[in-house]
Amino acid sequence: MSAETESDAGTAAGTGNSRAEASGNGFLTDTWVNLKRWMLKTARNPFVLTFSLLNPLMFLVLFTEVFGGVTGGAIGGSVGADVNYTTYLVPAIAIQVSLVSATTSGIGLVEDIESGMFEKALVSPMHRGAVFLGKSLSEVLRIVVQVCIVLTFGYVLLWLDTGGNTGPYVATGLPGAVGIVVVGIVFSVWFTAFSNIMALVTRDQESTMLSVNILQFPLLFLSSAFLPLESLPGWVRVVASLNPITYGIDAARALMFGRDVMSVVEVTAFGGVWNTLVPALAVLVTLDIAFGAVAVYYMARATSAEAR
Amino acid sequence: MWVATLIEYSFKNAKWSDVFPSPVSAIDARHLALTYADGTEAVEDVSLDIPEGEFFGFLGANGAGKTTTIKMLVTLLRPTEGSVRVNGYDVADAPRRVRESIGYMAQETSIDTELTARENVRFACEAYGVPRGERAGRIDDLLDLVDLADVADKRAKDFSGGMKKRLDVATALVHEPPVVFLDEPTTGLDPKARNRLWDYFRRINDRGTTVFLTTQYLEEADQLCERIGVIKGGEIAVSGSPAELKSRVGGDVLELELDDPTDRDVERARAIAADSALVDDAAAVETTDDGIVVTSSVARSRGTDLLVSLRDAGLTITGFNVRSPTLDDVFLAITGEEYDVDGDDTDADATADPERAPGASR
Repeated sequence: MSAETESDAGTAAGTGNSRAEASGNGFLTDTWVNLKRWMLKTARNPFVLTFSLLNPLMFLVLFTEVFGGVTGGAIGGSVGADVNYTTYLVPAIAIQVSLVSATTSGIGLVEDIESGMFEKALVSPMHRGAVFLGKSLSEVLRIVVQVCIVLTFGYVLLWLDTGGNTGPYVATGLPGAVGIVVVGIVFSVWFTAFSNIMALVTRDQESTMLSVNILQFPLLFLSSAFLPLESLPGWVRVVASLNPITYGIDAARALMFGRDVMSVVEVTAFGGVWNTLVPALAVLVTLDIAFGAVAVYYMARATSAEAR
Repeated sequence: MWVATLIEYSFKNAKWSDVFPSPVSAIDARHLALTYADGTEAVEDVSLDIPEGEFFGFLGANGAGKTTTIKMLVTLLRPTEGSVRVNGYDVADAPRRVRESIGYMAQETSIDTELTARENVRFACEAYGVPRGERAGRIDDLLDLVDLADVADKRAKDFSGGMKKRLDVATALVHEPPVVFLDEPTTGLDPKARNRLWDYFRRINDRGTTVFLTTQYLEEADQLCERIGVIKGGEIAVSGSPAELKSRVGGDVLELELDDPTDRDVERARAIAADSALVDDAAAVETTDDGIVVTSSVARSRGTDLLVSLRDAGLTITGFNVRSPTLDDVFLAITGEEYDVDGDDTDADATADPERAPGASR
């Protein structure tokens, strides 16, 4: 791909000779064109959008209503005794929403491969990087909107449960709320990459859907999503401490409570919230880069003109 | 002298088309070969020189190498050997320039069924950088061209196969490309939908667009194309105008059905036909289940003589038909596919090249 880009740049320099034909766009325009197409597709599927959000919200309601009364002791040690379980769970649900959105990324890619739109993009003059960037941005946008809905919904639920006496909710204020959204995005990258890798390897919608969905619940339950690490049984705690979800949720939860909640690694160098955020984001970014590199490799393979 | 200099220059300098803004060839492919990683040699040696404005048909059976060739021409596959220039741009050196200057319609219909017809065409306009001010008019024109104007704002999901194909055609034309590649565009369509598509392809070609069409439908190539290349086993087996190819069959085809086609009577009829004035060196007689088929340059003018001879011999003829050879005859004759080669009488070579296979029927 890189060789191609270079040679095209070389040709572009000599356009004085070439015939007047419709010419391609710049990288940003191509990105925007693709972003628009995916936003339109997302808007066309209000059911998918609703149900993908409904599932996590149902989790939030069911878990807080059923277990809210008995979890106080377990979570008290980690985030403080006066904390409501709803407040504890909302960051986990925000991460779950990011996970679900990342799942659909690969499914969208397979759909494009199956419908021929993938090849259509390859044979068009659009910048290939922009084609995928545009699609990814539409997914990021979806995460932003959905996490905001989760945060709002959580607050309403908490308000109703406590009769207005909500206690601390997003203790870090507006920057913290934005931070939770950012954590959701940073978290989503590695799983987006994973679902795209599955899409490119299987090139089949059902296989992609199965392979990413089957991971969703184990990942969610074997993490710090519903209970703090220290109250989980032995082997679950080991798995949870290696589970990327734990790092995403801990980062979001730190912003929710405005304090260090990370229990996998004890970091004290940065102070307060940052003692959780810095190690958690470091783990996530590392994962993002690793999975992203593999996804880029497969994508370059899939878009190359090399005969296979 | 300057002609010689020019010719010499053209040989020395690969960038011929940069010197002359309007290259002679819309597609210039030289000795293309493509071997897949598993060792399959899909295309072995294909050379094409297609002038601007031509309607070229690339004919071949399934697996002959049509799609592999077209994918090399549109930059989707890099040739293992050989070179291609499309609109004067080298596919290896300037793939983006090639992509800007071509329209491509894949064998499988490629549209976004979640979007409306108009949105599909609009996306293509944006992808190809059609200036904003021209988009709305261009979209309307194209939807009009493919008769989808009345369903422009309906989602493509509910379209029939033919409508989807037509929408796909429209999206391939948004940037008014000088060359359009159509890979088996009518496969799987009913005759009515196919005829409509043919009209659109003719209209596109009438506007001066070079059209490169692959097909397994011989009738399609005959109907549409000025020139045809038949690909077999990864190489171009034969090429020429439909008329030229037809002439290779050796004349018109006279089909005769016997009332009672026993082996003995059919053989008698064959012998009579072979001795008749119809059959000279360049003619052939074949036997079929129902009677005989005679290929002859004088089939039309002397066909009735044969009827008389057969009647005099006591054979009753119940079916009589003289027709021009179709590309089917040509294709089967050349590629030998679908032909029963058990008996001499049905030897494929006999019809393709009678001079070289005189024993088939004489």
